[in-house]
Amino acid sequence: MPTSQRLRITVDLNKCVGSTICVQLSPSVFALNDQRQSSVVDPTNDTAANILEAAEGCPLGAIVVQDAETGQVLFGARDAAV
Amino acid sequence: MPLVTDDLMAPDVMTDPHSYYRQMRELDPVFFNERWGGWMLTGYDDVVQVLRDPDGFSSDRMRFLARELSEADRQRFAPIFDVLSQWIVFRDPPDHTRLRIVLNKAFTPKAVERYRPRVRAIVGDLLGEIEGKGRMDVVRDFAYLVPLTVILGLMGAPDLDRDLIKQWSEQLGVFFFLRADEPRRREIACEGVTSLVEYLTPIVEEKRAHPADDLLTALVAAQERGELSEQEVIATCVLLVFGGHETTMNLIANGTLALARHPEEWERLKQQPALIESAVEELLRYDGPVKATVRWVKHDVTVGGKTLRDGDRALVVLSAANRDPQQFTDPDRLELTRSPNPHVAFAHGIHVCLGASLARMEAQEAFLGLTQRLPVPVVATDELEYHPAVVSRALKALPVEF
Ligand code: HEM
Ligand code: SF4
Repeated sequence: MPTSQRLRITVDLNKCVGSTICVQLSPSVFALNDQRQSSVVDPTNDTAANILEAAEGCPLGAIVVQDAETGQVLFGARDAAV
Repeated sequence: MPLVTDDLMAPDVMTDPHSYYRQMRELDPVFFNERWGGWMLTGYDDVVQVLRDPDGFSSDRMRFLARELSEADRQRFAPIFDVLSQWIVFRDPPDHTRLRIVLNKAFTPKAVERYRPRVRAIVGDLLGEIEGKGRMDVVRDFAYLVPLTVILGLMGAPDLDRDLIKQWSEQLGVFFFLRADEPRRREIACEGVTSLVEYLTPIVEEKRAHPADDLLTALVAAQERGELSEQEVIATCVLLVFGGHETTMNLIANGTLALARHPEEWERLKQQPALIESAVEELLRYDGPVKATVRWVKHDVTVGGKTLRDGDRALVVLSAANRDPQQFTDPDRLELTRSPNPHVAFAHGIHVCLGASLARMEAQEAFLGLTQRLPVPVVATDELEYHPAVVSRALKALPVEF
């Protein structure tokens, strides 16, 4: 189910170690790239709740989720947010 | 004959593994060690490649160990097999994925942050006792008590028997950390694991009868939902008690030693406690508790231009990767503000340390407490001894005066 809220999802590749947790928790949004690090394939393709759970589940705190319109950080490190 | 020794247990290698890994990396970063019977990977990129490739490399240590032992020995060491074969760290997908999803929630950065005040209080209490004495053995009087008290609290187990638990964990560690000096290592590990199971089983049963707000209750609930088996619950408890303190204890001890040898860095941290996060990352990189981990090749794979064959084993040397000059400038220098610092002390890939956030937080509190409360410690011995082990970097004792 797609999210009604437009989200901006960023993965900090300096932190991502390819644990695949986010891919397990929200497989239609996250996928591994060639380096076996996480990348966002489609930020709309899951519920906001699932996406936030995936972000929170990252053992490295590498994922930041923001409201795409307001820029408000919904989950993630303050310093990583742009 | 290689120019560099292939004896992973040589005394020089134990005291100064970093010089040895440097020589090894310079000789050949993908080296086949005949004596150990496997590959040694000492370059950063190769280490990361292997750790991120669970399709090419298995972690199923017990399956490979079972092949090496006779039927009689397998019976004799059944307690080790029964428990360790259920450990998440030795399992491949899909079982690994199933267990990791169950456990992950309790160990996210956000979840462990809630325990910070408790950890700070534990550190404060311990240092309150130590402060006036002017001396301590960092390992016995401080380093193990912090993480062991924390993990027992988190699990919801009583912390009355910390000394016993430490003793059983050490027995188990004789096997787990490849303590080749001990001929009875499998017997000793059996005793340790049996004692831990006997200790933890009634505690788990108690949670089943009287659910509480703790990790053991969450595990029992997950079992009742069919997400993991009863054996997996007990085995996981053993792993958390064991993995939850041995490694963090070694980080606190190794880090204290590194800072004692760099008094200006101790002072810097005292003056600028805001450096604590990057300081802990650097201590993990500089002399981390887990020197290496092992993988078994599942199908022929190319690493650093060489072909590793199906069934080969590989020692993935995390501590060597952490000092690879191609990745880190001036790698042998302790630089508390190093950034970025993409070390592999917690590994990479699907098995990346479950307790990484917890260990980071515990170490941050421990080093903040130490540097704030104590003057620079002086190491009070000429002969530091390490447990002879391929995998762990563990001081037997660290006597200091301050
Ligand atoms: C500084 C302290 C620690 C270090 C350096 C460390 C290091 C590691 C490493 C290198 C691995 C990966 C092993 C492999 O891939 O073969 C690992 C896995 C693991 N660690 Fe830690 N660890 C530490 C603290 C902890 C703590 C406090 C806990 C307990 C809460 C813990 C629980 C685990 C578990 C359960 C795994 C297996 C994860 C999996 O297979 O998915 N560790 N650790
Ligand atoms: S959960 Fe975090 S570390 Fe794991 S793959 Fe996703 S972003 Fe990377």
